[in-house]
Amino acid sequence: MSLLNYFKKRYDTQVEKRSYSKIYLVLSLLLFLSTTWAVIDEVSTRRPWKNYQTEYYDLFKEKLLTSYEEHLAQIDTAYINSLQNEINESKKELESDEYKNLSNELADEQQNYIDATREWRFAKSESDATFYEYKHKLNSTGVADEDLKNKLVELDTSIAQSARLMIEVDKKVADVKFQIGKFKNKIDSLEKEIILLTDATEKILIRANKTSTAPIEIRQVMMNDFEKTSFGDVKARIDRCQTCHLGAMEKLMSDVPQPYAKHSLPELLEKHNPEKFGCTPCHRGQGNALTAGFAHGDEDHYWETPILKGKDVYASCNSCHYQQVYLKNGVEFSKAKQTFLEVGCVGCHYLNGYNDVKPIGPHLNSLPAKVSVDWAFRWIKNPRDYNTQTRMPNFKFNNDQSEAITAYLFKIGKESEFKSNFANGTYKGGNATEGMKIFETVGCQSCHVVGKNTKVREARGTSYDIAPELTKAGSKLNGDWIYDWIKNPQHFSPETKMPSLRLSDAEAKHIVAFILSNKDETTKEKININISSSEKIKRGEKLIREYGCYGCHKIKGFEKDGKISVNLSDFGRKRYEQMDFGDIAELPHNSKEDFVKDENGKIKVKHDWNGWVTGKLHNSRLFQTERIIQKMPIFNFGEQEIKNLKLMLMSYRVDNPLPKYQQAEPERLSDINKGQKLVVHYACINCHNLEDQGNYFAASLEDPSMGPPMITMEGAKVQEPWLNNFLKSPTPIRPWLKVRMPSFQFSEEELNTITKYFLAVSKKKLEVRDYASFKPNEKTLPTGKYIFDAFQCIKCHQLGGDVADAASLAPDLKLAQKRLKPEWIVDWLKDPQAIQPGTMMPGYFPDGESPLPDLENGNVKLQMEAIRDHLFNLNKK
Amino acid sequence: MSKILSIIVLICFAKLSAGDVTGKISFAGVAPKPVLIRMDADKVCKGSHSSQIVSEEVVVNSNKTLKNVFVYVKSGLTQKFTAPSTSVILDQKGCEYSPHVFGIQVGQELLVTNSDATLHNVHGLGKKNPQFNTAQPLKGMKLKKKFDKSEVMMKLKCEVHNWMNTYAGVVDNPFFDVSDANGSFSLKNVPAGTYTIEAWHEKFGVKEIKVTVTDKGTTADFAF
Repeated sequence: MSLLNYFKKRYDTQVEKRSYSKIYLVLSLLLFLSTTWAVIDEVSTRRPWKNYQTEYYDLFKEKLLTSYEEHLAQIDTAYINSLQNEINESKKELESDEYKNLSNELADEQQNYIDATREWRFAKSESDATFYEYKHKLNSTGVADEDLKNKLVELDTSIAQSARLMIEVDKKVADVKFQIGKFKNKIDSLEKEIILLTDATEKILIRANKTSTAPIEIRQVMMNDFEKTSFGDVKARIDRCQTCHLGAMEKLMSDVPQPYAKHSLPELLEKHNPEKFGCTPCHRGQGNALTAGFAHGDEDHYWETPILKGKDVYASCNSCHYQQVYLKNGVEFSKAKQTFLEVGCVGCHYLNGYNDVKPIGPHLNSLPAKVSVDWAFRWIKNPRDYNTQTRMPNFKFNNDQSEAITAYLFKIGKESEFKSNFANGTYKGGNATEGMKIFETVGCQSCHVVGKNTKVREARGTSYDIAPELTKAGSKLNGDWIYDWIKNPQHFSPETKMPSLRLSDAEAKHIVAFILSNKDETTKEKININISSSEKIKRGEKLIREYGCYGCHKIKGFEKDGKISVNLSDFGRKRYEQMDFGDIAELPHNSKEDFVKDENGKIKVKHDWNGWVTGKLHNSRLFQTERIIQKMPIFNFGEQEIKNLKLMLMSYRVDNPLPKYQQAEPERLSDINKGQKLVVHYACINCHNLEDQGNYFAASLEDPSMGPPMITMEGAKVQEPWLNNFLKSPTPIRPWLKVRMPSFQFSEEELNTITKYFLAVSKKKLEVRDYASFKPNEKTLPTGKYIFDAFQCIKCHQLGGDVADAASLAPDLKLAQKRLKPEWIVDWLKDPQAIQPGTMMPGYFPDGESPLPDLENGNVKLQMEAIRDHLFNLNKK
Repeated sequence: MSKILSIIVLICFAKLSAGDVTGKISFAGVAPKPVLIRMDADKVCKGSHSSQIVSEEVVVNSNKTLKNVFVYVKSGLTQKFTAPSTSVILDQKGCEYSPHVFGIQVGQELLVTNSDATLHNVHGLGKKNPQFNTAQPLKGMKLKKKFDKSEVMMKLKCEVHNWMNTYAGVVDNPFFDVSDANGSFSLKNVPAGTYTIEAWHEKFGVKEIKVTVTDKGTTADFAF
C-alpha cells in the first residue's frame, strides 16, 4: 500500500518538484544485481567445463610429475655423473697452453684468410676495371693499348697468387680446427649423450609446468560436409566433447574418474582420430552441448540421438562398416552381425545392402521324398516340439492352418520330379556303431548335434543350431532319402549348403544306419488330417503368402513374391511414439531393466525403444491385442541373442556419415563383406579359425591340434589356381587329420568371391600370376638342399610317398610347388608363430639369425629363399 | 637337481630373520604301472638308450614319496625380488627333457640346450607368457628365454617327439624347489612370516598348506 501511496503522493506533487532519485536508486540496484547474477552464471554456473578443465589440469600435472619421477628414477644418475665428470675433465684440457696456442693460431689464421680474400677481391676488381678501360679504348680509338694489355697479364698473375694464398690459409685454418676438434669433439658428443638420456624426462617436466598456464577454453572439432539433413542438405557437425573429456587421447590419464579419463580403447582411436572424426559419430549425444545432461542427452528428452551407453556403442560401427560382418576391434559388433545373419531376419525384412543374403531354410518342393505327412504337420504346428534348438520359429498355427499348409506343400511335392539316384533299399546293410564313428570323425558333428555330443553347440554358445539336430532324425527321414542326400546333397537341393563329404558307399550305408537308429521316443497324439481337398490346398497357399514362409524356404509358386515385413533400414531411428505397446504394462522410466517377467508370468516393459524391442524379441506377439493381429512368428532367442539383435536393430539408420568420413579402400572392403557373408552362410568358421572367429569344432576334439587348420592367411599363402581346384575337389594335405574338408559345390561366382575375400583379408589384390614360371635360383639350390637336410624338415613333413621319420604331422612338401606362393614360404619361415600363434612349426631363425651362419654369409633371407627354391625344385627329380 | 637348488638366491641376510621350509611329499595311493616310451620313430633317440625308457609323469620313490613335485611360496610375501643372474639349464638329452619339472624366477634366464644329434624344438605353451616355438636342428645349439609373468605351471613340449614334455614353474620369488628322489624339498631362507605354500604335481594336481616361518625353520609335508 505504501508503494501505492508513494506514487499517489508523487502524482499530486508538481512535475517540477518531483524527485527521481529513489526510482533511480531502486533501478540501479536491480541493474547491479542482475549484472552480478549474469556474470556469476556466465562464469561458473553455466560453464561447468571450466571447473572440469581446471581440475583436469591439476590431475594431469600430478600424473606428469609422477611420470617424471618414474623416468627420473630410471635414469642411471651414476652414469650421467660419470659423463659429466668426463666433460669437466675434458674442459680442464681447454685451459692448457696447447689449446690456448691453438685458439690464438686459429684466430690469426682466420684473420689471414680474411686478408688474403680481400687481396684476391681487390686484384679481381682492378683487373675488371682495367679490362673495361682497355675495351673502351679499343672501341673508341680502334687501337689496342699495349700497356693496358700488359697490366692485365700482370693482374692475372697477382689474382692467381692471392688465390693460391687463400687456399693455403684455408688449409691451415682447417688444420688448426681439426687440432682444436680433438679437444672439443669429445665434450660435444658427451653433452649430446646426456641430452639424449635426459631430454625425454626434461620434456615431461616442461609439459607439467605448462599445465598451469594452459588456456581454459572450449575445444571443438568441426566436421564440414559430415552428413545430410532429412531434407538432403549437406550439413556440418560440431563436437565439443573434448572440452570436458580433455584426457581422452592422453595415455597417462588412466585410473582417474570421468570426464578426465583416457579412452578405454586407444587402439580404436588410431583409426578414428577424434581430432578429425569427433566423438558423436560413434558415441552419439549432442556434440555442441557443453553440460553433461544435454551433451549426453539425459536431460534433453527431445534430442533424437542420446549417448549410447555401455556396449551399445558398437551399434555405431554399422554407420560406416555396414558392409562388414567381422570387425577386429568390435567383438560385440561381429557377434551381433553373425546372429543377425544366421537367424534369417532378412528373409522377411527388407534391409539396404542385404539383398544378396541367401535364404536360410531348405527348399520345400519335394517334401514327400523326405518326410511323412504327419511329421510335416506336427513340424509346421510347433517346430520346437521336435527340435528345441531349431532356427524355425513358431507361427502358432492351429490344426486347421497347419493342415492347409501341409496340403499345399504335399501337392507341389507330388508334382516334383525328384527321384533318388539309387534303387530303393540301396542304403541297407550299414552298421549303426560304425556309422557313429564315421559321423564323429569325418566332421558331421561340426554342424549337426546327435544325442549328447553337444560340444560344438556349446562352443558356439547360441540357442539355435545352424544345421538340424539329428537326435530324432530316425523317425523323421527315410533311409533311401538319407542315402541319396549324403552321397550328393545337391541332387535333392541344388542350393543347399550341406556339403558332400565324399563318403564311400560303405561309409554312407553305416551313416544311414546310424541316423535311422536315432528314433523319436516321445509318444505322439494320433492325427487325422485330409490334405487332398483343393479348398485346403488353396487355403494353404494363401497362408504361405500371408506369413511369408518363402522368405526362408524356396517354395514352388512363390518365386516372384517379395519380402513381407517392414523395412528395417532406418529402424534405429524409430521413435517410441511410433511403437504400439498393446496391453503390456509400463515399467517406470528409471527402472534398470527393459523387460521384466514376474513369477506369475506377467510381463512389463519400459515404454521406450529398448523396452519395445526387448519385448518383441522375447515374444514377437507380445504386443498383440484383440484388434491388432501380429504375424511375426515366435523365436526362442537367448538373452545374449536378444542383446545382439537389439544392437543390430539400433545400428540400422539412414543418417550415415557422407563417404568422405567413411573409410577408404571400398573395393577391398566389399570383397571382404561378400566373403564374410558367404563364410557365415556355409559355416566355414564352425571348423576353421578365420579372422579370429570360430574354430568351434576343435571343442569336440580331445587334441585340438587334430582339427581343421586356421585359414586367415590363406590369401597370402596359397596360389589362387590351387585354391580354386582344392575348393572344387578337396584333396588331403594333412593326411593325419581324420576330419575331412567337405566338397561344397561352390559356383564359379562363389569361388571367385572366396578367392577375392582371402586375398582382401591378407591385403592383397587379385592378379594374374604364372606360378609355373617361377625359376629357382640354380646357384643356391645346393645350399637349399643342405639346409633342408640339416634342419631335418622331413622329421615332420612328408615328402611325396615317403613316410616321414618321427612326427609326420606336417603337410607334404612336394605339394608346395603347386600350392604355396613363393614369397609365402619365406614369410612363413621367418616366424611361424607370428603368423599362426600356437603352430607346431618351430621357428628356425630366432631373432633373425641362422643356426648355420657359414652359409650364404649368414644372410638369413638368402638362406630362406634357398630352402624355398629347393622345395620348388623337389618335383623335378 | 643341484643346479635348481643353486639358483635359489639368498636375499634376506642377517637383518631379517629367515628360516628354511622343508618337507616331504608322501604318496598314499598305489604306484601306477610305468608308462613305456617307444622311441622307434627316431633312430637317434632310440640309439641313445640301452634300456627301456619310462615316462616321468608319475615317479613314486622307494620310500613312498613323489618325485617331480614343484613346491613354492604362493602368497604371503610382500617384498619384491630381483632375478638372479644365473641361468636355469634345460637340456634335451636322449630325447628327454632334463629336468622334467623345474622352477625359474620371473626375469631369470632359461638356457635350453640340445645335446642330441637330432632335431628338437621347444614349444613353450605359455598361457600368461607368450608362446614360443623354436627349432634346434643341430647338436649343441642353445636358446635363451626369459619370462615376464609368473605362471604355475607352463608346459613346454617338443613337436617332433610327442613324448617329450617338461613343466616350468615361473614364480616371482626365489622360494621354490622340486621334490627329489627322496620326495623331499627345501625352500631356503624364507623370511619370517605366514605364507601359503603350494605343491603341484603333473597328474595329481595341487595342494596348499599355510605355514608360519620363524628363524628356526618350519616343516611342511604334503600328502597326495
